[in-house]
Amino acid sequence: MRNTPAAIHRAQKDLQRKLQEGTILSFTTVHHTPEGFPAGPRNIGLIELEDGQKVSGHLISETDQPIAIGMKVLPKMRLSSVNTQGLRTYDVSYEIPVQQTVKQEFPGYVLALTGPSGVGKTTVSVLLSTKVGKYVERVPILTTREPKEGDADEYVHVSPEEFLALKNEGKLATSTCIPSRDEKRWYGYRTEDIDAIWQKKMIPVIITEMNLLQGLSSHYGRRSILSFGLMPPGKSKRQMLSSLLHRLRDRGRDTEKQIEDRLKNAEADLDFFKTRSELFDDVIVNDNVDTVVGQLGGLVLERVKA
Amino acid sequence: MQSPIYLTGTGQTRFGEHWDMSIKDLMEESIDAAIENAGCTALDIDMVIVANMLGEVASNQAHLGAMAASLLPHHPPALRAEAACASGAVALHTACALLESGKAQTVLVVGVEKMTDIAPSKIAAGLMGAADAEKDAPCGLTFPGIFGLIANRYMHEFNLSRERLNHVSARHHKNGVKNPFAQFRKEIPAEAISMSPKVADPLCMLDCSPISDGAASVVLSTKFESPIKIAASQLATDTLSITDRPTITSFAATKDAMSAALQEANIEREEIAHIELHDCFSIAALISLEDMGFATPGNAIALYEKESPMTINQSGGLKACGHPVAATGIKQVIDVSKQLKNSKSSYGLAHNFGGAAATCGIHILSHA
Repeated sequence: MRNTPAAIHRAQKDLQRKLQEGTILSFTTVHHTPEGFPAGPRNIGLIELEDGQKVSGHLISETDQPIAIGMKVLPKMRLSSVNTQGLRTYDVSYEIPVQQTVKQEFPGYVLALTGPSGVGKTTVSVLLSTKVGKYVERVPILTTREPKEGDADEYVHVSPEEFLALKNEGKLATSTCIPSRDEKRWYGYRTEDIDAIWQKKMIPVIITEMNLLQGLSSHYGRRSILSFGLMPPGKSKRQMLSSLLHRLRDRGRDTEKQIEDRLKNAEADLDFFKTRSELFDDVIVNDNVDTVVGQLGGLVLERVKA
Repeated sequence: MQSPIYLTGTGQTRFGEHWDMSIKDLMEESIDAAIENAGCTALDIDMVIVANMLGEVASNQAHLGAMAASLLPHHPPALRAEAACASGAVALHTACALLESGKAQTVLVVGVEKMTDIAPSKIAAGLMGAADAEKDAPCGLTFPGIFGLIANRYMHEFNLSRERLNHVSARHHKNGVKNPFAQFRKEIPAEAISMSPKVADPLCMLDCSPISDGAASVVLSTKFESPIKIAASQLATDTLSITDRPTITSFAATKDAMSAALQEANIEREEIAHIELHDCFSIAALISLEDMGFATPGNAIALYEKESPMTINQSGGLKACGHPVAATGIKQVIDVSKQLKNSKSSYGLAHNFGGAAATCGIHILSHA
């Protein structure tokens, strides 16, 4: 059994060796994955590492770009499988870095706030615009979901057809599809909105989530994104989730059922801070809004003056 | 071989889904058939060797040597051989060694596999035991996945198109129509192969040998003569994991076993009129033909696109006959012996490998 504690312990000594860059010698898509792994399809590569040794490993990619023999890959630690007793095994996966769709010239900064719903992203951004409103502007979120009360200027509503047309024409900086109970909901940002804010010599502020953040970082390049994670206060994950629960209930926008769903997603969001820490400049605990806004505001002023 | 080893008896079950038969029932049917057409009686057998890979995984049954021996009236000594899909060849090789040493004069070799009793996912996990459990399995690789990697690399290096690869399985299915023991006796047009569901890109379902139940038995003897003898029996091995190899588009074990077998039989490659090769996946057939020297690297597909001078997998191969893992190596020898009897040609060859050819066994048969 490969995912027993002893086998995992023995595998530790290979981890360091496997944490190298490499080149894809061959790859396949396994459509029926073994027990304990997420359902297929799963991309697996035979990789030649920098020191000449070969390994087989899970291939991951942020975009849908086709895999090809000869591509360079970077090592990343990822959850690999969960055995029947619930033991979670982490292993080295190999990421195919986004090919040069990243613009060569530096386009400017985008301030991105990521965090679970209820953590206070909107509050922070509203306060930020009162504090340094001369320098920042919110980028509206393009969505196909039904308009709700309280959306105000936060969202721009379009039909799914319009959304996909924009996406296919390359007019979206990033987009993601979040399946809900009865429909697929698309979310994204238009490049023209972001460009317009840059034209005004301001910093676009984006309130986002993990998939959109990854896309954004691929589109503009990681160094363009001033990326901050917002975490709810609490010493443990349970405390953090509980404080989110209270905020969501106080907000009164969602039904109990929706809150339950949001909390489930929140857990994944909190894990994301850890597993993809390279996507964040800082992860800030939102226990005092003023401190957070002060911190972010200072940063904005610094960039604007530079 | 110092004293000739004769193939005196052969028998097999039909390969396929035998829901009503246990591992013991399958063995019994093939043993009975082999003894019936042998030039000796059951009591002349002085050793039994059982080839089996998945007894414990699929049937909770180990200790198959004694189980097979108990099917004979006099309970001769018995042992079991395991080398994944090459178990059959390893059992035959062991039998030859016992016969050459004089330890035994007549040996019954039984290959058996019962695969349809448990869920496909469990069988897939069991088959993955043929690879390196700590190097290949942890990333979620399956056995078709390993051959998907091999096929993709081969197609990249030799610029082989998916359409051309289709001819391998199509030919095997065409050949299988005439074989009463084959699991699938249905011709399938080449273009349908790549239209079947994807299993491990670029391999589709119809590139893969199926999961089958079945048994095959032979009686080998230095005492009882028969028209067919074993001219060579050779084994070779390679690393378990494909990650430890300099190349994955050629199998060193096949090359080693082949050159040793030709030397042992003291013949030229061109004298071989029939081959049964290990086409667990379509790509494996091409690589094996090249490693055995019947084609230059990258060109084996030509042997499937036109008629070749020798017959290749006239039985239907693993693809059409079915692949009850450990029975395959024995079944290939039975088919080659039938082909030699029919054609009166001099030599035939059975090529059987396990895992990604981490073990390869080659047997050359000839007229006595």
